[in-house]
Amino acid sequence: MGGNAMLRRAVARNGRHLWTGTVIAGIYQIGAALVPVLIGVIVDRAVGTGDPAALTVWVGVLVLNFLVLATCYRYGARHLQRAIAEEGHRLRVEVAAKILHPRGVRTDRHAGELLSVSTTDADYTSFFLDHIPRITSALLAVGVSAITLLVISAPLGLIVLIATPIVLAALNKTGPIIARRVAEQQEQAGRATSLATDLVTGLRPLRGFGGQQAAAERYRQVSRRSLDATLRAARTQSAYLGASTAVSMLLASGVAIAAGWFAMTGRITVGQFITVIGSAQFLIEPFGTLAVVPSWVAAARASAGRVASVVRAGLILPEATAGPTAGDCDLRLEKVSHGTLSELDLHVRPGEFVGVVAARPADAESLMRVLAVPDGYDGRILLGGVRLEQVERTEARRLLHVEPHRTDLFTGTLASNIDVHDADAGRLAGVLRAAAADEVADLHPDGVHAPVAERGANLSGGQRQRVALARALLAGPPLLVLHDPTTAVDAVTEHAVAEGLRTLRHGPGTGFGTVVLTGSPALLAAADRVVVIGDGTVTAEGTHAALIAGDDDYRRTVLR
Amino acid sequence: MTTQMLPIATPAQSRAWLGAELRARRLPAANALAAGLLAACATVVPAYALGLLVDRIHAGGDTAVIVEIAVVIVVASLVGGTATAFGNYLIARLGSTILAGLRERTVATALRLPAQILDRAGRGDLLARVGADISAIDRAVAEVLPGMISALLLAAISLATMLGIDWRLGLAGAVAFPLYALGLRWYLPRAAPSYAAERVAIADRSQLFVESMQGTGTVHAYRLEDRHLAGITAASAHARDISIRVFALYTRFIGRINAAELAGLATILITGFLLVRHTGVTVGAVSAAALLFHRLFGPLAMLMVTFDKAQDAGASLARLVGVIGMDVEDRSPATGPSGRDLRLDGVSFSYDGVHPVLDGVDLLVGAGQVVALVGSTGAGKTTAASLAAGILRPTGGSATIGGVPVTDLPAATIAIVSQETHVFAGPLAEDLRLARPGASDEQVIAALTSVGAYPWVRELPDGLDTVVGDGGHQLTAARAQQLALARVVLLDPAVVVLDEATAEAGSAGARDLEEAATAALRGRTALVVAHRLTQAAAADRIIVMEHGRIVEDGPHDVLVAGDGRYARLWAAWSARTM
Repeated sequence: MGGNAMLRRAVARNGRHLWTGTVIAGIYQIGAALVPVLIGVIVDRAVGTGDPAALTVWVGVLVLNFLVLATCYRYGARHLQRAIAEEGHRLRVEVAAKILHPRGVRTDRHAGELLSVSTTDADYTSFFLDHIPRITSALLAVGVSAITLLVISAPLGLIVLIATPIVLAALNKTGPIIARRVAEQQEQAGRATSLATDLVTGLRPLRGFGGQQAAAERYRQVSRRSLDATLRAARTQSAYLGASTAVSMLLASGVAIAAGWFAMTGRITVGQFITVIGSAQFLIEPFGTLAVVPSWVAAARASAGRVASVVRAGLILPEATAGPTAGDCDLRLEKVSHGTLSELDLHVRPGEFVGVVAARPADAESLMRVLAVPDGYDGRILLGGVRLEQVERTEARRLLHVEPHRTDLFTGTLASNIDVHDADAGRLAGVLRAAAADEVADLHPDGVHAPVAERGANLSGGQRQRVALARALLAGPPLLVLHDPTTAVDAVTEHAVAEGLRTLRHGPGTGFGTVVLTGSPALLAAADRVVVIGDGTVTAEGTHAALIAGDDDYRRTVLR
Repeated sequence: MTTQMLPIATPAQSRAWLGAELRARRLPAANALAAGLLAACATVVPAYALGLLVDRIHAGGDTAVIVEIAVVIVVASLVGGTATAFGNYLIARLGSTILAGLRERTVATALRLPAQILDRAGRGDLLARVGADISAIDRAVAEVLPGMISALLLAAISLATMLGIDWRLGLAGAVAFPLYALGLRWYLPRAAPSYAAERVAIADRSQLFVESMQGTGTVHAYRLEDRHLAGITAASAHARDISIRVFALYTRFIGRINAAELAGLATILITGFLLVRHTGVTVGAVSAAALLFHRLFGPLAMLMVTFDKAQDAGASLARLVGVIGMDVEDRSPATGPSGRDLRLDGVSFSYDGVHPVLDGVDLLVGAGQVVALVGSTGAGKTTAASLAAGILRPTGGSATIGGVPVTDLPAATIAIVSQETHVFAGPLAEDLRLARPGASDEQVIAALTSVGAYPWVRELPDGLDTVVGDGGHQLTAARAQQLALARVVLLDPAVVVLDEATAEAGSAGARDLEEAATAALRGRTALVVAHRLTQAAAADRIIVMEHGRIVEDGPHDVLVAGDGRYARLWAAWSARTM
């Protein structure tokens, strides 16, 4: 489904508000087109004749016309706005639902791009619902004015109807030049803004090496470039504005002079003369609308195409076909090749605490990736004896929890971040202690209800790590995979965490399996067994103590 | 910590600033105004001339008069087009030039704000000012300002012309202006909070969206898809509802504008009717007035509906003018220090003026020495490091290098690298050149080589020119910190402070980073806040802090041999290797 289909669907599913709004907005437009006609009629029939009855009648008609057009605008525009806002909202939700789909979406767009698809592109797609009434209204306005002019004088009407589109088409030839200059201006302005925010974001490190002056100078240069681009765009736009002002004034004047000659020679009345002038003036706007409509529609179609590319993107993982056998939940990797991994074998039995040491960081990353998203690998990954990718996703993630090294916290409180399912308030204290996250809570008067800013920005790296660990421990999955969970905490805390992990998950009668990918001796010492991965496959295995004693390579990798 | 807003200029201060800027550009401002007035006059001429034509038609005059009027109108059109182009450009140029100066001063000031002020206000406020506020004014100046000014001028000239045609017709048209003003008075106070609420709702929606997108891995791992989607849906629906409400308000405002249009037009026609009947005013004069007024519909409506954008830009302007009026740190004195020894003498410090974080700290780092600072979280290590680096000013005592207070020394004398890393967006070499503008590629490469970063930099897609940071090639925390150390080498300061600079590396990168740090410190006086004790063990001396005081001070071997705090820390650290 491409951009056009997206636009068609937008029209179809907002039909009621869209067509109601379009009809009402059309009536508004006719009312607006009638204003210059009525001015001419009032001058002709009342001011010119001095007839009070005619004045009363026609001013009454003018008032009525305004009432109708104002009322129509108010309600027509609201119907349209409702359709536009609703469509934008629905597209945003569809984009979000797709990206968050449990089976993972195939897209190479990063978060910033996806945000712009969900905002700008969703908006531009929904604006198509605004283009339809605008086109309809413009056509109606042209129609009404054309009929008026043709009724008054066929030659005059033809002059206006033929000359106006030609002039506008000529002026619109410059459209691409202006669009390019404006795009350039916006790009330079955007560059200046992102430089400013980047420098202020990095202000602390910047101050650390006294780079403020160099940074201010760099900003000044970018700002001057932005100013140059703004002035270039302003020159082009001003030239266009001047030309279009002159040409439309000349056009309206030409019509007026011709009409004046007709009036002087008695072919039309004074009132009709005024109507012609007013209508010729009025027509410029709807003609202008019709001239730019193609570029609007093109923009809407391009945006709709981008929205479609996300909403219709494929999913990474296949549909689930099986559930794992209940009861013993072990994890078995058989000859798994993925990324830098090459025929890796690994078996984690229920209740086991396994340390995994990867000499190359890329091996650890590959292993984490394939466990989180079991796609594009050779060999077999079995969860409780069933191929991992065939297990229903929610169930697979409940059984096998893979906690990424890069911690993601969300706006809220410590408690809302740790107790994500609002289920285990009773176990919270124990988990906090095990992850040494109780110290984080103690630093704030509100304790576990201390606020967490967007992406946990108000916490240090070590604090974020401990909060994320507490979250994983509270989830209590039968199988837990951690990756370097203590890199930003001090030695004493690291020891406490190793102890906490052991006690909480491998105490008597727990039966949980835990895998920790780490180079930390404290964590490895707490594991039942350590597996060493070198060059993508298992190179050594044993307890931490035995490996320390007997394996020089291991000692060098682990003891820094 | 309570957040205090950065200052916002009062309307009087903003006006004073604008007045001063315009006075400094008298000639360009006068030219812009003259061109704008000429354009407005030229636009009005045809309607006036056509009014005359109506009278000639009524009088049944000679058709030759058409030629004269045609000439006048054609000339007016050409002059009007030219003047419109110049007026529009001159106004845009004046506005953008003033704005460019303003944004540069704002950013320069923002970058030099004292650390404490910034910590108190929070970075968000400042970021919003250099980002959203500058963009808002930028757009207003580029898109709204020229149109508003020419609409205002056109309205003024049209009214003057109508008064000139006949003062009573002018007054009749002027009936509309109070109605326009009433419409604005009704709309603006209602629109401002609604638009603000809409912006907040959109920002909330974006925040939820971005958080979920960036944290997809975590969302999946905890099976939070439904909850996050529900959050995004609710935020999006809220923004939608507000936008519908705001728009309903807008349509009512447009209704008020229509009422003003009708009132003006009807009054002109009725007054014209009476004047034609009872005085010598001609039908042509009435027609000209009515046409002039009808021509104003578009520009006046544009003026009305952009008024709130102008108001918004005014609010942003007040926030920028507020920043440029702030006091900044000035660290560019002529003289450098005489020595290279770093000394804290009886230094005390408190963030809030009540609770001391440091209390009488004496500390000496001899020239060329490396001293490590250790202690538990909250002991005051980072505060001591910031005071030593001159980022904070002591509340009592002094921090000096070579006997001169650090805050009075040129910025290049001392560098501090903290746990907070930032890769400045742009080519990698430009990131380093922030430390030393104009450094050659060779110098940049030498600095990268000395911290062991050049091998991987060379492997990047475009080497030194690879765009890194926000929107570019993403570097790991360890590599970002290596760049920070390379900047120190390039800056070549006499004294360096490292505040847990190697903490975020992860176990795999820690050793590389410690080697990089050692290279960056070579030949310099250094104070190192260490959380990996191997780093402390390599220092010439170790200082242990507890609760804002120094509790131990001595070489590693001596402290380990004792039974103090450091000996216990070392025991715990050594235990991790067992």
